[in-house]
Amino acid sequence: MSEILSELSTAVIEGNLDDIVDLTEDALDEDFSAQDILDKGLMPGMDHVGVEFKAGNMFVPEVLRSARAMQSSMELIRPMLVASGVKMVGKVLLGTVKGDLHDIGKNLVGMMCEGAGFDVHDIGKDIEPDAFVAAVKEFEPDVIGMSALLTTTMRSMEHTIKALEEAGLRDKVKIMIGGAPVTQAFSDQIGADGYASNAASAAELAKKFVA
Amino acid sequence: MRGNYTVNSGVRFRMLTDDQLQELYDGVLHVLEYTGLEVHHEESLEILKKAGAWVDGNRVRIPSYLVRKSLELAPRSFTVFSRDGNPENNIHIGPGRAHFGPGPTCPNFIDVETMDRRPYIKSDVPNVAKVVDALPNVDFCESLGTVNDVHHDLGALYEFAGMFPNTSKPIVAWSYDKYDSAGIHEIAVAEAGGQKAFERRPNYIHYCEPLSPLVSTGEALDKLIFAAKHRIPLIFTPCPIAGGTAPVTAAGIIIQGAAESWMGLTIAQALQPGLPFIMGGVFSVMDMSSMILSYGAPELSLMMAGLTELAHFAGLPLWQTGGCTDSKTFDEQAIIEGSLSVYFSALTGGDLTHDVGYTESAMTGSVFQLTAMDEAIGYARRITRGIEVNEDTMAVDVINNVGPNGHYLREEHTRRHYKTEFWYPNICDRRNYEEWEEEGKKTMKDRTYARVQDILATHKPSPIKPETEKVIDKVLSEAEERVKNS
Repeated sequence: MSEILSELSTAVIEGNLDDIVDLTEDALDEDFSAQDILDKGLMPGMDHVGVEFKAGNMFVPEVLRSARAMQSSMELIRPMLVASGVKMVGKVLLGTVKGDLHDIGKNLVGMMCEGAGFDVHDIGKDIEPDAFVAAVKEFEPDVIGMSALLTTTMRSMEHTIKALEEAGLRDKVKIMIGGAPVTQAFSDQIGADGYASNAASAAELAKKFVA
Repeated sequence: MRGNYTVNSGVRFRMLTDDQLQELYDGVLHVLEYTGLEVHHEESLEILKKAGAWVDGNRVRIPSYLVRKSLELAPRSFTVFSRDGNPENNIHIGPGRAHFGPGPTCPNFIDVETMDRRPYIKSDVPNVAKVVDALPNVDFCESLGTVNDVHHDLGALYEFAGMFPNTSKPIVAWSYDKYDSAGIHEIAVAEAGGQKAFERRPNYIHYCEPLSPLVSTGEALDKLIFAAKHRIPLIFTPCPIAGGTAPVTAAGIIIQGAAESWMGLTIAQALQPGLPFIMGGVFSVMDMSSMILSYGAPELSLMMAGLTELAHFAGLPLWQTGGCTDSKTFDEQAIIEGSLSVYFSALTGGDLTHDVGYTESAMTGSVFQLTAMDEAIGYARRITRGIEVNEDTMAVDVINNVGPNGHYLREEHTRRHYKTEFWYPNICDRRNYEEWEEEGKKTMKDRTYARVQDILATHKPSPIKPETEKVIDKVLSEAEERVKNS
């Protein structure tokens, strides 16, 4: 592997926001394709971060900085990837459901998914089922992530799934849910595709969905 | 005869100096005046505007004079009464008095018979209340869970209805919304003998929770206003997470969280001057590896100690936190984390320490953890009670009487003091090896389990009035009617 691609991996791992853009430009100057930069530079770096995080050797703030470094590079190469018709990892739509204003967990899921290479669209908190439907139409995600902290608001997840069914969109997306009171049993009960107990496993679940 | 004699009778802990506390206090006033909070509640916005706050859409900034005035109005000392008039179960909130009790809203529960983890259900509520009622060092009651097997909107109401008849210790009532609050209040007022009687001797505390960072939600303020209008002692307790929803530093989270709490204080005092107000809450770290809000972190104790000192500096009592753990089971981690936070909390004199009995980072409630912590609280209380130094306790005459080579077992002085001077454990084992072996080599876990079983089988809480039972039935059936189509 070329030196510049391995430097890109290292920059992602170290969350080196100062140099990652220059390194990306250098790689492009050396005639590496955007696809190479993504697959052989950025993603191996993020994969390493994922392994180290799981092993307890890296921590959330470091992972988020790595994700930001990757995003900075992605901003440069995304138009080229799109132009050459390369399929991105996937698109994730996130929202905290109607009635709920608690969103730190959902924000973490967003950052973890970005780190895993997803294009993430976060529509915020206290989101009506219809707003989810509208966002799905507009953004066309592969995966929807819904969160709730309260037992009273987690039923909005069920309402949102119903609204997606009624709009004929349910089969077009995978739905994952999470939040303190949410369980796998609840996910099965309301017809979601999966449940994740924390942000890192949500990103892994999303990856499984699009694999 | 002796003049100007200084006494330290109990063990107390002081972390920050007055200079540091003044700086934190000024920091809170600064945040309230210059940054302000979002308030999602029309009536509260009106109240705040009228009181002199600067309201700009949902953003409210409070000039510091108004915050100081609100602090001045709130009492530092007051009493919450047992529902049955038993003075031993009254809670006198005031300097130097640390009280303990469980917390609310865990989705799961450790089954009292099997010790397995499962969803919290309605029939768990009376058991928790009975255990609280029986434990000597637990002073107030919360349910340790969210009831899963009733209509989702009615969990809090069923909680209160299940607790109230099963303990005469004051309940801290958590609720979803103003409908719960009204139902809960109707039950408590029925027992007290009407609203006027309740105001003279309030028999429960109302709990509500703003959102971090810097948001007062509609539900929280609905409940706060209900409590203020009915003169129910009020806890307004944020749960900021250092590094997530609050600054990563202890001083930073204390300032932000206090600002969140004092927004509630300002609204409450504008509406009901002198309303007993207890500042919150749960301040801890986001574990940067597991992403949980840690209930077993040393920083929880440290942040809560700083917050306690700030509250007392400002003249408010504090809703402290302790006796909780990140452990999933009844093990050494649970006991280390729980006991150390209980002890630290007792040392700060934080007024009401809640979440005793939380396990799995507040995901699972456990009466076993609660019962073990009752022992730890007793232990901590013996230490904080301290050493009394006077002519009698110095025992110079007794030493002279016994002299070299004698013993103290027969002394009247010994007989008079040994029961109060020493603390006696309920669960910790001090027998010799042979006796321990003969009894089946029981562990702390075995003995805790046995104590819980014994309480559930034999403890009889004092009953509520028959007419209150009828009110409970009425409140529940009206509530079922209200939600049956949702």
